[in-house]
Amino acid sequence: MIPFEMLEPKSLRDATALLDADDPTIRPLGGGTALMLMMKAGVFQPSRLVSLRSVEPRYSTITVNSDGSFNIGALAPLASLEHSADIHKHLPVITRTMQVLSNVRVRNVATIGGCLAHGDPHMDLPPVLISLGAKVRVIGPDSERTIPVADLLTGYYETQLAKNELIAELIIPPQNGKRSVYLKCTTRAAHDWPALGVAVSVAGNRDGLSEAHVVISAATERAQRVEQASALLVGPPANDKLFKDAGEAAASAVELIGDSQGSVPYKRQLVRVFVERALRQAIDGGITQ
Amino acid sequence: MNAITPTPGGQVGRSIPRLEATSKVTGRVEYVHNLRLPGMLSVKLVRSTVAHGRIKSIDVEEALKVPGVHRIVTSEDVLKVIPVPYYGPAFHDQPILAIGKVHFVGEPVAAVLASDPHVAEQAARLVVVDYEELPAVFDEVEALKSKTVVHEQLKPAGTFPDLKHLHGVRDTNLALDFQLVHGDPAKAFAEADHVFEHTFRTQQVLHVPLEPYVSVAETDGNTMTIHTASQSPSFVRLEIARLLGWVENRVRVRVPFLGGGFGGKLYIKLEALVAALSLITMRPVKLALTMEEQFYTLTKHASTFRIKSAVSKDGRVTGRECEVWWNGGAYADIGPRITQKSGFTAPGPYDIENVKIDSYALYTNLPPAGALRGFGIPQLVWAYESHTDLIARELKIDPVAFRRKNLLRDGREQATGTVVRDMGADACLERAAELMNWDAPFDRGSGTIKRGRAIAVGFKASISPTTSVAVVNVAADGSCTLFCGTVDMGQGSDTAMAQLVAEVLNIPAETVRVVHSDTDVTPYDMATLGSRSTFHMGHAVRLAAEDARAKLAALATEVGVAPGSNVPIRELFVRKYKMQAGTIVGTGSYIPDYTSPHQGTGQSANVTPFWMVGATGIELEVDTETGHVKITKMINVADVGRAINPKIVESQLSGAAIMQLGFTTTEKMEFEGGQCTNASFADYKIPGFADLPPTMTNVVVDANQHNGPFGAKGVGESGTFGVSPAYANAIEDAVGVRITTLPITPEKVYRAMCAARNEPLED
Repeated sequence: MIPFEMLEPKSLRDATALLDADDPTIRPLGGGTALMLMMKAGVFQPSRLVSLRSVEPRYSTITVNSDGSFNIGALAPLASLEHSADIHKHLPVITRTMQVLSNVRVRNVATIGGCLAHGDPHMDLPPVLISLGAKVRVIGPDSERTIPVADLLTGYYETQLAKNELIAELIIPPQNGKRSVYLKCTTRAAHDWPALGVAVSVAGNRDGLSEAHVVISAATERAQRVEQASALLVGPPANDKLFKDAGEAAASAVELIGDSQGSVPYKRQLVRVFVERALRQAIDGGITQ
Repeated sequence: MNAITPTPGGQVGRSIPRLEATSKVTGRVEYVHNLRLPGMLSVKLVRSTVAHGRIKSIDVEEALKVPGVHRIVTSEDVLKVIPVPYYGPAFHDQPILAIGKVHFVGEPVAAVLASDPHVAEQAARLVVVDYEELPAVFDEVEALKSKTVVHEQLKPAGTFPDLKHLHGVRDTNLALDFQLVHGDPAKAFAEADHVFEHTFRTQQVLHVPLEPYVSVAETDGNTMTIHTASQSPSFVRLEIARLLGWVENRVRVRVPFLGGGFGGKLYIKLEALVAALSLITMRPVKLALTMEEQFYTLTKHASTFRIKSAVSKDGRVTGRECEVWWNGGAYADIGPRITQKSGFTAPGPYDIENVKIDSYALYTNLPPAGALRGFGIPQLVWAYESHTDLIARELKIDPVAFRRKNLLRDGREQATGTVVRDMGADACLERAAELMNWDAPFDRGSGTIKRGRAIAVGFKASISPTTSVAVVNVAADGSCTLFCGTVDMGQGSDTAMAQLVAEVLNIPAETVRVVHSDTDVTPYDMATLGSRSTFHMGHAVRLAAEDARAKLAALATEVGVAPGSNVPIRELFVRKYKMQAGTIVGTGSYIPDYTSPHQGTGQSANVTPFWMVGATGIELEVDTETGHVKITKMINVADVGRAINPKIVESQLSGAAIMQLGFTTTEKMEFEGGQCTNASFADYKIPGFADLPPTMTNVVVDANQHNGPFGAKGVGESGTFGVSPAYANAIEDAVGVRITTLPITPEKVYRAMCAARNEPLED
């Protein structure tokens, strides 16, 4: 292995200063689940890794506020979300998603910030977080800004983050009784990356929805809201016909990528079916949050 | 231990836990991967990036500059220590490192040696090889007629009589054309009421042992020791000795436990290369492949099988024509044996009087193919059991009743002319039908979920003739040690062999120590393959234990102990040697009777010492909106003769069935221009626990193999046979569409359903 520098700053702000906006060979190291695979495959050879393991402990905590909103430190391991009683109470869709997200070894070390910053469209959490209206607070050496997760992800493994910016925390607004579902569709083994991810979050009942968010991932170049489907759902009676139409609308709206998990026409059918099913589940069996 | 009375100890038939279980789960078992020798060099291979080409140059200059690189070796260096560096069990066609030409993407071209494997890896990336690309052939059917040939000239090893006629033949990709004719097939087809013809295909898949290939060689120039994860230590010794021009006793091959083999670790894999490298560098050399490099080492044959049947009005199959193309990849490995030994079972376990088989072993510019849990049988069963169901459905006969009517039963001639005995196809079919509640009403599902069910039965002949030798030592305190070359790669052979020794000597199996393969110590064994060990090595072990028992009886007589006395063994030794001293050595050697099939007709009066049968029943649900298939019930039934260790037998059946389920549903090596495009386990998916059926029943039928050791025969592969066709047949039963190529993905099922309702999904 070619030697590289490994730094372990004590604060997140210091960490941003050790990164370089113009040098792609310098990268932050969180849980390392993605980075290590890239290094093993020879796709990425770092000149410097900035480990975030010793930064302030507050960046690993999960805080629920009195209004039911959450502040989650970017370095919180996925397993800590999985086992959080507060998350289970207020955001059960996240607890459920963890059951289909990779495996226990990955969840134990992968961080919530890392899984967003990586920009991989196959991740299970980003579509869920977009459907919940989550935002990230991002800091740089001399900057700080808040970005909706929906806007953070800009393309295939691409995000809005500069190379010297780090996600500091995830902010999830109060859900006020909305019901959410995430469906992961695999076409090879069950433990595979999703061929399609569908996250929906709705407010209302069978008489009509006051709010609806439909998010598609994995089959697309990034996790993204499908406005055409979301818009169509608000107002009219929320019956199976409406859900079917929403599925149809989503299927014709999104640009899909064909690969070894499925061709574009097949994935279009999956979008059609899984959006409809996710909505039906959200209304009938979805968990109130 | 009782010296004289040879009453069976009841050890055979005990479900004792595996002897090595505790040391395995506590991490104390030896694997070659953990071996480090003083001064050892690690190897990283530079692999071909083209499927077929001439090597114009190999530039190692930049690579040599990497600090820590010891040496970079190409075929030029190999030729200096091994003048004819070609190996292989059927053909001497595979060079230790590519000489002049490369024949598949991933073929080793150069070896980089360094003390640190990471340094070797980094330097290997800097070696630049310039190729002149040549036309390549990938499809097995095309390869038979193609003007593009993989090898200019055929080089059969000379071991097998039916390959001798191929010596020196030029301009062909055909590495064996096995033919069989039984009865008068032309007449049967001319007189048939119905004729059915279908073609089925299978894909390249991988063995995926959790322990990838690994070998270490050390030499002093006079002797060579190879520590290797191999299923065939005796063959490695023979072949290394042949390559070096040494006598066998100068080569020592050690094999500890294997972390899985499944037919991948047979014959020579890395051993010849590490042997050559250790001679070149005079240092110990280790080559441990990564999981991903397995994609360039050995695969399971892709195949195309055209099958045609003549059927009478009342549903009797009167004639069958089988044409099978085996995609052997760039080197023959054991492919030509599969073509013949499995080829002759292509008509299936059916009583068909008129049969014609053409089975072709073909070279292509893909990674080599060899044995993989079933030795070609699963590819054949996939086709003939799919075909059988299609016929039954067409004739509106219940698929189980149709099979029952045509099944090959004891006393009847198989296509080779061998009269079958102890085959158990009927017992397995009936037991499977019973466990599936076949005669009870079946819930067909509702809404977007449709349900289906099916049964498939396959069979296999044991590869013959092969030899096993064993030694049983009885120490002066009566403790017992077994020396046998069967490699325990997770199948539990140590435990089964210990039970056989224990049965003969009337001692607890747990007290028998089994010494692993070390060719300096353990006697010859052909290999651990093809479900042969329980039968062949089982006999050798039984004979060795019986020999020890006879010698103990003689010792008792010699020291004046009356027959039937219960004087302990240690007392016998003390009486003879006046102290705790001496050893009894029992030996056993076994080779079954066998008659080679006639060249041209494939006929033989005795083609195999035993037959193996496996049947699988599957109930499943199809999601009609997505094509997703969920198995709700799976049963696997096998005839294994008498089970030596019923618990291990059960796990062998379930393991084999799960493995075949992966080959049926998800696993496929994808190729583009000969390059495997999914050579990682992120994209090549083997089943996980969440993919397994919620209920799975694995049972054996009550049976006794008349010529087997204590009535036993092989089990390792039987669980694979029926899985793929049972799955496809159950899908047709559920939604009325037929899939003829593996793997059966949800998209394939959904597309077939769209096509069936005349709304084909665009590509």
